[in-house]
Amino acid sequence: MIRRFFESIGRYFLFLKMVFRKPEKGRIFWRQFVNEADKLILSSILLVGVISLFIGGVLVIQTASNLENPIIDKMYIGYMVRESLILEFCSTMVALILAGKMGSNISSEIGSMRITEQIDAMDMMGVNSACFLVLPKVTAATILSPLLMLMSLALGLIGGYFVVETTQIIPTASYITGIKAFYNGFYIFYSCFKMSLFCFMISSIAAFNGYYAKGGSLGVGRSSTKAIVTTSILILLSDLIVTELMLY
Amino acid sequence: MIKVEHLNKSFEGKQVLKDISVEYEPGRCNMIIGASGSGKTVLLKNLIGLMDPDSGDISYGDRTLSKMNYKEKKALRQKIGILFQGSALFDFATVIENVMFPMEFFTDWSAAQRRERARYCLEKVNVIGSDDKYPNELSGGMQKRVGIARAIALNPEYLFCDEPNSGLDPYTSILIDRLIYDLTKEFNMTTIVNTHDMNSILEIGDKIGFIHEGSLLWQGDRHSILHTDCRELRDFVCANTLARNIIEGR
Repeated sequence: MIRRFFESIGRYFLFLKMVFRKPEKGRIFWRQFVNEADKLILSSILLVGVISLFIGGVLVIQTASNLENPIIDKMYIGYMVRESLILEFCSTMVALILAGKMGSNISSEIGSMRITEQIDAMDMMGVNSACFLVLPKVTAATILSPLLMLMSLALGLIGGYFVVETTQIIPTASYITGIKAFYNGFYIFYSCFKMSLFCFMISSIAAFNGYYAKGGSLGVGRSSTKAIVTTSILILLSDLIVTELMLY
Repeated sequence: MIKVEHLNKSFEGKQVLKDISVEYEPGRCNMIIGASGSGKTVLLKNLIGLMDPDSGDISYGDRTLSKMNYKEKKALRQKIGILFQGSALFDFATVIENVMFPMEFFTDWSAAQRRERARYCLEKVNVIGSDDKYPNELSGGMQKRVGIARAIALNPEYLFCDEPNSGLDPYTSILIDRLIYDLTKEFNMTTIVNTHDMNSILEIGDKIGFIHEGSLLWQGDRHSILHTDCRELRDFVCANTLARNIIEGR
């Protein structure tokens, strides 16, 4: 089992070597990049947006219910909601959600191409199938995912604002003051970096599992599940490591 | 010409190909025949480089496949057209985009030129008016035809067909066989067809190699196959009613 684990790691890096070759034609790569940006990022906007709005609102209520001490200024509720969103929710939690959506999409798409010999057909034409199929997905997910993180942050804060405005759980002015207080731009960079890293892992690991899928449609299902489980664990593990390295 | 010399291939200790030596000439329909599990597909995958042999050589012209580097293999593959058993058309592309796919990568033709060439190939295989359909909207026979159109899009020197008739009705099978045969003659391609369909063998087999348990037991053409002394081949041939009737003069 340990041997198989190390073999998989080796195969993953050899796979990345195939993926990160110069694309045959830039024009084709950019066309695929735009397609993948649409399929992986734009199509995730609704899901991420809705979840972020609700989580923002829930965070306000939870934080407010835990900070009832009259000595503590109410603006800290807004501040804590903002920090929670930036530091953890908008990158790590959104990435875990995307691991399911994006990961299964990529893995099943490439896996079904593998079992129907479409990848063999590409290879036999002399096309680097790994580069053609995977590079646009990985680059689109890695480069554009920080935009999802920023959108998630904005919508999370708006969700909080709606809750504050409608329930008056704290004064609206305090919430606004809180979300503007003690702003640290590095946290945004840290969160964007994490999001990019997580989305790189999601797209490349899902593609790797799909690319080497075998055993018919059951095999495609297995590769999809494996991709989601592996990326979810790796996201949490790398979250710990990146946080230790960048914030401590 | 493709030349195979002393090819051996094993999987987990089981020898699947045993000392295969054969030559495939241009302008001829070369058939690899044999029962399921005899090693036909493994031989085909070795020939096209999807598998590496344990020993032995495969030469395309004067170049040995195992000695080619990545770039040389890539260049060779552009001279090869393949029809896969399940057609292997790209789900994400329409019929015409499937045929244009190799041209996009390996030619500098304009979009109009690519489209024109794709239409020519589709006309050759008699697929007209389905340019904008997706593969899942086509019948099995149509998918095979589009697969052939894609395979010949770059005017290949070599055409490989893996079980071109599987899943097709007898009438469509004959049409596909004749199409492969006509294209082979017209473009002087070295065509290798992997099949166990006796109708195809008798219809288009210019040169036939019979594989039994990984060994190439017999070579000949579609006329001599009916008069063979090879017992295993006779058993294989006579499993087909039509061939048995011909042999028995009925």
